[in-house]
Amino acid sequence: MMLKIEGLNKIYKKDGKVALKDVDMNIKKGEFAALLGQNGAGKTTLINILSGNVKKTSGKVFIGGFDIDKNELETKRILGVVPQESGFDNFFSVEEVLKKQSGYFGIKNNKEYIYHLLNQLNLYEKKNNFIRELSGGMKRRFQIAKALVHKPEIFILDEPTAGVDIEMRHNMYDFLLELHKSGLTMILTTHYIEEAERLCDRIMVINSGEIVADEPKEILMDKFGREVRVSICFENPVDMRQWDLPTEFNGENAHNNQIDFKVDKAKLPSLLNAIASKRSDFVDISIEREKLEDVYLQLIKRRDS
Amino acid sequence: MKIFYNKIGFFTLLFREIHRFSRVSIQTILAPLISNILYLGIFSGILSTRSIAFEGFNYLQFLVPGLATMGTIFAAFQNPSFSLISQKYMNTIQDLNSYPISDLEKTTAFILGGTVRGTLIGMLTYIATLPFVKSGIYSPAFFFLSLMLTAFVFSSIGFISGLALDGFEKMNFVLSIVITPLSYLGGVFFEVSKLSGILSAMRFVNPIYPLVNLTRYAYLGVYEDNIYVHGAMAAVFIIAGFATSLIVFKRGTGIKIL
Ligand SMILES: Nc1ncnc2c1ncn2[C@@H]1O[C@H](COP(=O)(O)OP(=O)(O)OP(=O)(O)O)[C@@H](O)[C@H]1O
Ligand SMILES: [Mg+2]
Repeated sequence: MMLKIEGLNKIYKKDGKVALKDVDMNIKKGEFAALLGQNGAGKTTLINILSGNVKKTSGKVFIGGFDIDKNELETKRILGVVPQESGFDNFFSVEEVLKKQSGYFGIKNNKEYIYHLLNQLNLYEKKNNFIRELSGGMKRRFQIAKALVHKPEIFILDEPTAGVDIEMRHNMYDFLLELHKSGLTMILTTHYIEEAERLCDRIMVINSGEIVADEPKEILMDKFGREVRVSICFENPVDMRQWDLPTEFNGENAHNNQIDFKVDKAKLPSLLNAIASKRSDFVDISIEREKLEDVYLQLIKRRDS
Repeated sequence: MKIFYNKIGFFTLLFREIHRFSRVSIQTILAPLISNILYLGIFSGILSTRSIAFEGFNYLQFLVPGLATMGTIFAAFQNPSFSLISQKYMNTIQDLNSYPISDLEKTTAFILGGTVRGTLIGMLTYIATLPFVKSGIYSPAFFFLSLMLTAFVFSSIGFISGLALDGFEKMNFVLSIVITPLSYLGGVFFEVSKLSGILSAMRFVNPIYPLVNLTRYAYLGVYEDNIYVHGAMAAVFIIAGFATSLIVFKRGTGIKIL
């Protein structure tokens, strides 16, 4: 187990805010997990406890088998974190900061790997610039490089793509997927659900400090994503009112000659049969599974009510 | 027990502290030297007409070790406090929490960084006074050591201030309301034992007092009060400064959220 969390609670001393409630988590070696949740759900709090910035109130945390209470320094060697919000050392250049960062982790002569990372993250040309001279998206990528110079075994990214342009974001996805392929255990928080859907194989959802879902992506989608979206186009305009479909099929006209349905997967054959018995001028039909985004919204809504 | 948990990490951190101040050497090295020379110039102008003597030495000879000590104190205090507070402003302070470097190593690295800068400024102050005051040092090795100990004590105080304070204004407040008066009352410019009453008695709780006297002893070979008492006082301040630094750091003051 790469990361094991048991009964983790956090109450901020300052204002008594309960940020985490009995959080349990088990991340296996090589997993790529997404941690989703609304603003203020507790994602950053959780990550800050792992990296030692926030002191936990109670509970146990093991990173790579090391207890953060007993072997804190060992856990730091194997953890790499890209923080959500972090500043920049304005005294030194990109390369200098990365060299120092390697040193803090006990690594000398890391130049080759530093250049490799800078190349991978399209930052090599900026190696002699001060961090303040980088653009916002470059700074974000610089943070990724900085969190990787010591070759961590578990890599946590807190909203790495916020403020990164589309092309760079896609480059970053490729980069992250490659890291994952090389066997790195990763956890990602993001507000772009399609990002989690595309990159991660496991989805965790946290809501008001509680884990409300934690499953392999496919299972979660199956469990909640039971409905499919069906759109049918006809050659000629259709008027729903002229049809008397069973009431369970609640279609709606999108355009004159298109109808959209949202139905349970199991009812799909009877829907198609029912329509075929009325019309035969199909031009196009598309059946779409629900997106993770819909599942996510359902989860959050269920909790709120 | 191993002395080091992460030797390379420790030296990287120490080197960062030195690298940072040398990057901005005009402010950190040149400025204090010029200000000390100005002091010396002013006093030599004022005093050329009078003779104020200390154990057979003239006043400027008395002043040189005082100025060196004061230069050391300010520089040593400023290095860790400025470094930590600027990391708070840059929002990089929490990076410290992510390094696999022990609390003892981190504390020591910051304090030694300030010790290097403080000692450097003290020695350079001495060198800069050479054209004005031509006299040799009674014990150069002890002079150096004494400045180093002074730097260590005030670097610890700077470290604690840097952790506890969250702004440069507060740091300057400590410098001008605490450190500056303490150096005047600690014997940088005059013999405090000649003062009377409470101001004089206060010298025994002032860390600057024994340190200035040790440095002055190393420079002139003569001292005020009792040199052994000064030695013992200095030892107490060194140990207390370091222990407090470590305790404050371990508690996470200023760098961890409770
Ligand atoms: N230093 C702090 N002191 C007091 N409360 C805090 C502190 N930091 C965070 N909180 C509170 O804890 C809760 C969880 O915050 P957290 O930053 O973990 O959320 P998040 O899931 O990362 O949100 P976002 O998606 O906006 O980044 C919020 O209610 C927040 O206000
Ligand atoms: Mg957050």
